[in-house]
Amino acid sequence: MTFTAPVLNYAQLAPMLIVLGGALIGVLIEAFGPRASRHASQLFITVASLVAAFAALVRVRNQSSVDAAMGSVGFDGAGVLLQGTILIIALLSVFLIADQENFTALAAAVPGSSEERESLQLDLRVTEVYPLTLFAVAGMLLFPVSTDLITLFVALEMLSLPLYLMAGLSRRRRLMSQESALKYFLLGAFSSAFLLFGVAYLYGYSNSVTFAGIQASITGGSGNDVFLLLGIAFISVGLLFKVGAVPFHAWSPDVYQGAPTAITGFMAAATKVAAFGAILRIFYVAFANAEWQWKPALVLIAIVTMVFGSVVAITQRDVKRMLAYSSIAHAGFLLAGVIALSKSGLDASIFYLFAYGIATVGAFGVVTLVRDSAGEVTDLNRWSGLGKRSPLVASVFAFFLLAFAGIPLTSGFIGKFSIFSAAYETGSTAILIAGVLSSAIAAFFYIRVIVLMFFKDPVEDGTSVVIPSALTTTTIAVTSLITLILGIFPAPLINFIESSAFFIR
Amino acid sequence: MLTIQTPEAVMFWFLAPLAVISAIGMLLVKKAVHSALLLAWVMITLAIFYIAQDALFLGIVQIVVYTGAVMMLFLFILMLVGVDASDSLTETIRGLRPIAITAALGFGGLLVSLIGRATLGREAAGLVDANSEGNVQALAKLLFSTYVWPFEVVSALLITAALGAMVLAHHQRSVPRATQREQAIARFRGASLGSAAGLPNPGVFARHNAVDVPALLPDGSAAPNSISATLKARGDMLESTQFELSEVDNTVTEEK
Amino acid sequence: MTTAQLLGQDPGWLIAVKAVMVFAICVLSTLMAVWTERRVLAKMQLRTGPNRVGPAGLLQSLSDGVKLALKEDIIPAAADKVVFIIAPIIATAMCFMSFAVIPMTGVVNLFGRKTALQLTDLPVGVLYILAVTSIGVYGVVLAGWSSGSTYPLLGGLRSSAQVISYEVAMGLSLVAVFIYAGSMSTADIVGSQHQHLWNAIVLFPSFVIYVISMVGETNRAPFDLAEAEGELVGGFHTEYSSLKFALFFLAEYVNIIAVSALASTLFLGGWHALPGLGFTEQWLGGWFTLIWFFAKVNFFFFIFMWLRGSLPRLRYDQFMKFGWKVLIPVSLIWILIVASLRVLQQEGAPRSAILAFAAGVVIIVMAISSLVERNKEKVRSADLPEGEAPNFPVPSLPNVQSINVSGGK
Repeated sequence: MTFTAPVLNYAQLAPMLIVLGGALIGVLIEAFGPRASRHASQLFITVASLVAAFAALVRVRNQSSVDAAMGSVGFDGAGVLLQGTILIIALLSVFLIADQENFTALAAAVPGSSEERESLQLDLRVTEVYPLTLFAVAGMLLFPVSTDLITLFVALEMLSLPLYLMAGLSRRRRLMSQESALKYFLLGAFSSAFLLFGVAYLYGYSNSVTFAGIQASITGGSGNDVFLLLGIAFISVGLLFKVGAVPFHAWSPDVYQGAPTAITGFMAAATKVAAFGAILRIFYVAFANAEWQWKPALVLIAIVTMVFGSVVAITQRDVKRMLAYSSIAHAGFLLAGVIALSKSGLDASIFYLFAYGIATVGAFGVVTLVRDSAGEVTDLNRWSGLGKRSPLVASVFAFFLLAFAGIPLTSGFIGKFSIFSAAYETGSTAILIAGVLSSAIAAFFYIRVIVLMFFKDPVEDGTSVVIPSALTTTTIAVTSLITLILGIFPAPLINFIESSAFFIR
Repeated sequence: MLTIQTPEAVMFWFLAPLAVISAIGMLLVKKAVHSALLLAWVMITLAIFYIAQDALFLGIVQIVVYTGAVMMLFLFILMLVGVDASDSLTETIRGLRPIAITAALGFGGLLVSLIGRATLGREAAGLVDANSEGNVQALAKLLFSTYVWPFEVVSALLITAALGAMVLAHHQRSVPRATQREQAIARFRGASLGSAAGLPNPGVFARHNAVDVPALLPDGSAAPNSISATLKARGDMLESTQFELSEVDNTVTEEK
Repeated sequence: MTTAQLLGQDPGWLIAVKAVMVFAICVLSTLMAVWTERRVLAKMQLRTGPNRVGPAGLLQSLSDGVKLALKEDIIPAAADKVVFIIAPIIATAMCFMSFAVIPMTGVVNLFGRKTALQLTDLPVGVLYILAVTSIGVYGVVLAGWSSGSTYPLLGGLRSSAQVISYEVAMGLSLVAVFIYAGSMSTADIVGSQHQHLWNAIVLFPSFVIYVISMVGETNRAPFDLAEAEGELVGGFHTEYSSLKFALFFLAEYVNIIAVSALASTLFLGGWHALPGLGFTEQWLGGWFTLIWFFAKVNFFFFIFMWLRGSLPRLRYDQFMKFGWKVLIPVSLIWILIVASLRVLQQEGAPRSAILAFAAGVVIIVMAISSLVERNKEKVRSADLPEGEAPNFPVPSLPNVQSINVSGGK
């Protein structure tokens, strides 16, 4: 038997390998490092490996190949942009995660037990979140560039597993946090099973698990369309679950609320980039020629998602839940870019993902600052009058909300404008109408929060804004700056995306 | 079409209904252990099917990994939870059950009707070709050449899982646990030597030799520390005085 | 002709005859094993052992078996009936199944046909044995659970944890054998040992790990925590009586013979004669190899008895620690070494490079072990906390007072 050794393009895999290497060093630090210096060294390793990965990515930004890893990874302009976005968001989120006030001291201790009190007194820390974050980042980096269904599945599991775990590590209201982690895990496992089921059907349809092979089968038209339909449907279920599109959204409000806020920010921003990257690739590359099979269903899902997210967000009384429903609505907007199935749709989606991801991390960063003696305050009623007490923090938050709403001079406006115009160009008028309508509804509840913060009297119940640590300040400052710059002066980024975003086949 | 030899067909029509019935039974039985057993049986049936289709290695590994390790751990947890633990079947939200059953039947019916009409549309390659160099060798070749990248990434996934298990289950001791040696030293160097040789066993010999009655010490007094702390806390401790002999018959009867 | 091809020619009736033979061999050797164990243990403890029923007590276990079968069959009220009955059946059936791939003889003449006393030769034979034994554990675990009482449950829990842990070590110790033989089929492994040296010599660490974990896997002393009489009455089979108990009894001994047979096959050259005695393999038309095979199996069985006669039972946490923190890491490192050596050999590295690699490994191992020893020494010599002098008479320690050697009257 002859065996030819596999050839890997290590330069193109370097970002993922560096992040994985950082994670492994982190695991070793957990096993052998002295407890006192663990937090500092973990933070250093994490930041260093993210920065190094970004540098490695910049070095190979102009390359493209289908053979980065024996046909499992496709390296191209869109992939580079998405990976870069994920790395930037991850770096900003790590600064939030570094504020360990959000995490439990000992995850194994029963909530309310004497062991928990003891661990708090001993000032134990769950420094494992750093390697876990890096593992998740590595999965996210792989997710949008995987070009066969097996790699796609492995990447999906790898990005999800650490997130399931970290969702349960909140320091306060731990039972709720653990419940949310369990919910996320069970539903996530369920959706993975759907995805696998879809993989099996597509393999039956095309005799291949690579995107290129599936595309060739669709173009050739030799396979059985029932298998293709079932395959696309089940794979879409798995992927749409990750982005929280209706009707697969049920987990997101609970998980957003229960997870530690820093993790929620990371999860909301980076997962969405990775998952939409994968959706864009699979629909643009593998399923593009079977448009008639999936487009009607996806249009319907997009419209329902936008409208549902916007309408339900109005009734929320909790900041994190409100942001969760807003992220559901945004998933609907982003689906418009997938449906457009054109170069402009791809450009718009990537820009939107970048702008939305950055703003989300910033918004959750602000949420971590509003606290009382028992921890973070997420009840909207207690946020009233925040603008009078801490005008700066409230204005930054208001700015992010305006960006979510898509008001001009923010990145959100450019994103929404480009994505809807892309959808309109390809004739999806229904999407355009639904999008504009739900944007208007969404603007209502964003502005209601702004009114609450600035034009209501403050409540006197101990709610205050803590002085942020240097790292948190950096994150919030950088994110708001990027959001502002992209709102006023988006042309360089748009041009860059236009010139380099493409999917290799 | 794939030609199916008769013994294989007979085996399939014998085992497949059994597998389906046990899969459905798994959903319907009340005790979790029974569910786990039925699931184990489904997995074994699948393994037999794999073996029958020439995927010998896959079938054996299916048994070793799923039946032998995963289901065994599952049973392990179920046993820790308790012998009689049955699922609570009360609905927390009313009216969900009919909706769930309708949806499941509808979805299942849809799938069955769709798949039932579908045909593969081309010749199945069959495992004879794939196994031409041996089942294990062919699998190894795929794993280490075409799918080498996902295969390596899976290792990171496993590390994540191990790390996660540690995060969720590892208790950091604030004080290191005393070793047997330290305990022994503490017992002898302690204030009293009373318990150095171990605590007395419970029970009053010959009258009520059970764990819920404190032992009688040589001086006739009861020794409450002979009772397990659990029983004490539960309030299941009996008085030992009622089992004391009021008068001891010390007369020695003459042996014949 | 390979063994697989040879066995492929067997007609149906011959396979049936061989199946019956294998079954009979298992049952008979159980009967003999019980008697042997009682006699040998008795010798070790300076007793006589059973000597009343039959010549030298040979029929003792047979009469015990009959007695067991005639006892009342009790199913406790709290038991889960179906599982309670299935459990011993699973345990016993799986033990017998693992014998299907054990090659007991070389080529022999059976009713005028050339064949070997082995039911089938799978390309993944050894994995098959692992799979079957892992299902066999279900018998023990389910027996513990279904009895509906505490001691059996604890016994079942212990045994499942134990078997899972030691199966990992066992599987890892087999990996080195696979790497060396280049096959997972039992017949091929026997063949490769015949051409080279016994695996017990070449892969000595694997051999040691396998022997330790096979004792753990079969729940035998000093690892018999699942049925620790002192703590758990009888462990998982406390509530069993009559034939069901007899089945567990049978399963335990068949299991011991099965792991011993696997050990002889994988490490001691299987049915082949001892080196230098190869001419005996043709005697009795090849049937003499069966005697060699059983001699080796009995060697392992004797080790089982020897262990039982000389070692106390381990504490549970020590036992688990030993499995996870010693056996598994050691076997992982060993596999790494074996694989590197194998690659060096196959890539045609010069002999000096291989020797240098081996020497390097030996030096590293020695350095680490000496470090560990020194650490142990430190812990041992750490001062005990000083306490009050005890206020009761204490016998003086023998090495404190000098012994008057020259003294006397």
